[in-house]
Amino acid sequence: MRHILLLAALVVAYAGVPLLFGGTPYILGLIVAALTIAGIAVAWALLGNLGGMVSFGHAAFFGVGSYGSAVLSMKLGVPVFPAVLLGGLAAALASVAMLPALRLRGPYFALAILAYAHIFQILATEMTPITGGAGGLLSIPRFPVLFGLDLGGKTGGYVIILTIVLLSALAYDAVRRSAWGLALKAMHDTEVATRVVGVPSTHLKAAMLALSAFITGVVGAFNAHFISFLEPDYAFSSTWTVLPIAAAIFGGYRTVWGPVLGALAIYLLDQLLFKPILPHGHQMVLGVLLCAMILLSPGGLLPALRRRSTGERHAHA
Amino acid sequence: MLTLDGVQVNFGGVQALKNASFAVAEGESVGLVGPNGAGKTTLFNVISGVIRPTGGRLTFRGQSLLGLPDWKRARLGIGRSFQIPRPLGHCTVRENLIVAQRFGAGINDPKRIDEILDLLGLRDKADADATGALALTEHKALEVGKALATNPSLLLLDEVLAGLETNSKRAFMERLGAVRDRYRLALVIIEHDLPTIAALCPRVLVLNFGQIIADGAPDAVFRNPEVIRSYTGETTL
Repeated sequence: MRHILLLAALVVAYAGVPLLFGGTPYILGLIVAALTIAGIAVAWALLGNLGGMVSFGHAAFFGVGSYGSAVLSMKLGVPVFPAVLLGGLAAALASVAMLPALRLRGPYFALAILAYAHIFQILATEMTPITGGAGGLLSIPRFPVLFGLDLGGKTGGYVIILTIVLLSALAYDAVRRSAWGLALKAMHDTEVATRVVGVPSTHLKAAMLALSAFITGVVGAFNAHFISFLEPDYAFSSTWTVLPIAAAIFGGYRTVWGPVLGALAIYLLDQLLFKPILPHGHQMVLGVLLCAMILLSPGGLLPALRRRSTGERHAHA
Repeated sequence: MLTLDGVQVNFGGVQALKNASFAVAEGESVGLVGPNGAGKTTLFNVISGVIRPTGGRLTFRGQSLLGLPDWKRARLGIGRSFQIPRPLGHCTVRENLIVAQRFGAGINDPKRIDEILDLLGLRDKADADATGALALTEHKALEVGKALATNPSLLLLDEVLAGLETNSKRAFMERLGAVRDRYRLALVIIEHDLPTIAALCPRVLVLNFGQIIADGAPDAVFRNPEVIRSYTGETTL
């Protein structure tokens, strides 16, 4: 039964959504944006839930991935898809520079990562010959036509980002279910106790930081080729940190699919419902919604829905 | 197996360990006693790599331990427990042992985990949350179990019997003896209850103000005037 539901969900996601919204590029564009946030939210939740690290600097990985991929494709002629993966690798490499911050805990780590993000933004602004400086990069190559499908369009972009998000969530789930996941979960409150049973905690945290950076970098790279334009203020904008955090917390950051659900819910609600009603204050409604979720269901939307579903099943039994 | 040569630890101006030198042979059981603050746990922390010594040398089976991180020492075969139980968070009892086995021993052997659970009387609690729902004895047993799951050849037990009432303590001691014999372990155990130590260990080390003041058979050590003075301030117990 579960497999049939999963298959149905995939058919709806890959075929139903493009068929339904293919004629309304605005809506499809919003869904692509929501999935872009979802990808970062999954990466952020992976780092927080498994690595035990709260990051305020995922915009750094998003920006490095964006610029890495864009520069590789524009200056070195690397084909777009390999460039996207290399953009992810560039972000993972950038995370190596952040390894000293792994010694820090809680808010100190979060603030150190925020500082790193700012440094990368300055670098992107100052390295004008490579990055185009404050003016940014124009006409970044779009995704190619593959098997007759124009991946550079809205529908193609949707299919690509959907695949990135699904693969990211599956990678997150695989790590979570592995012995690594167990050890990572175990060491949140008892790092010394895990180390003396042979767990190289710093290595595991570094690996989670690199994986989270890679996913975020790939999402950033996708975005660069999807919108075909980059500038430092946009690529390293705090939006790429704040919205994914809000989405992950709203959806349930301790679950794999909660951040995806949260991103779709808050972004689409905000853009389709709150923004038309309150064009200049719609984010306030979003804030109130997030506060309400934290108060009513601290675990987030997905755990609340699961509780409700379990409760109903028990009620029917 | 384990050799310490002139090990020193300073915490600021305080010398927690002064020139500690001793050796533990394969399969040997050694009791480590001394008043509170004598440096017993510091000694365990140095051997297991939780803290770095200020000076001296440590070797385990001929390999220097200096510069080796705690998790690598666990993989070499040095298992330890903590005085205040530290179960791995967000994990069941069985998952605690799985993490220790996968990372410490580098194997995946559910049968051995079941065996450890049985030996320590934890089988019924295997799926219980390790941070709650356990009695003190079970918490202590889990501390031993985690260390055992790393497949150690040397087990450092820090007051695993402390706080247990007489019957539980006796039963726990029997389990420890069975575990030691089953896995042919060398054992260093910190304990304040001298008869317990005498029953379990043919050799006792006494630590006072960071210095080893006696090393020998329990009867001789417990009659040593300096040992008695360190505990009571008097020369007779």
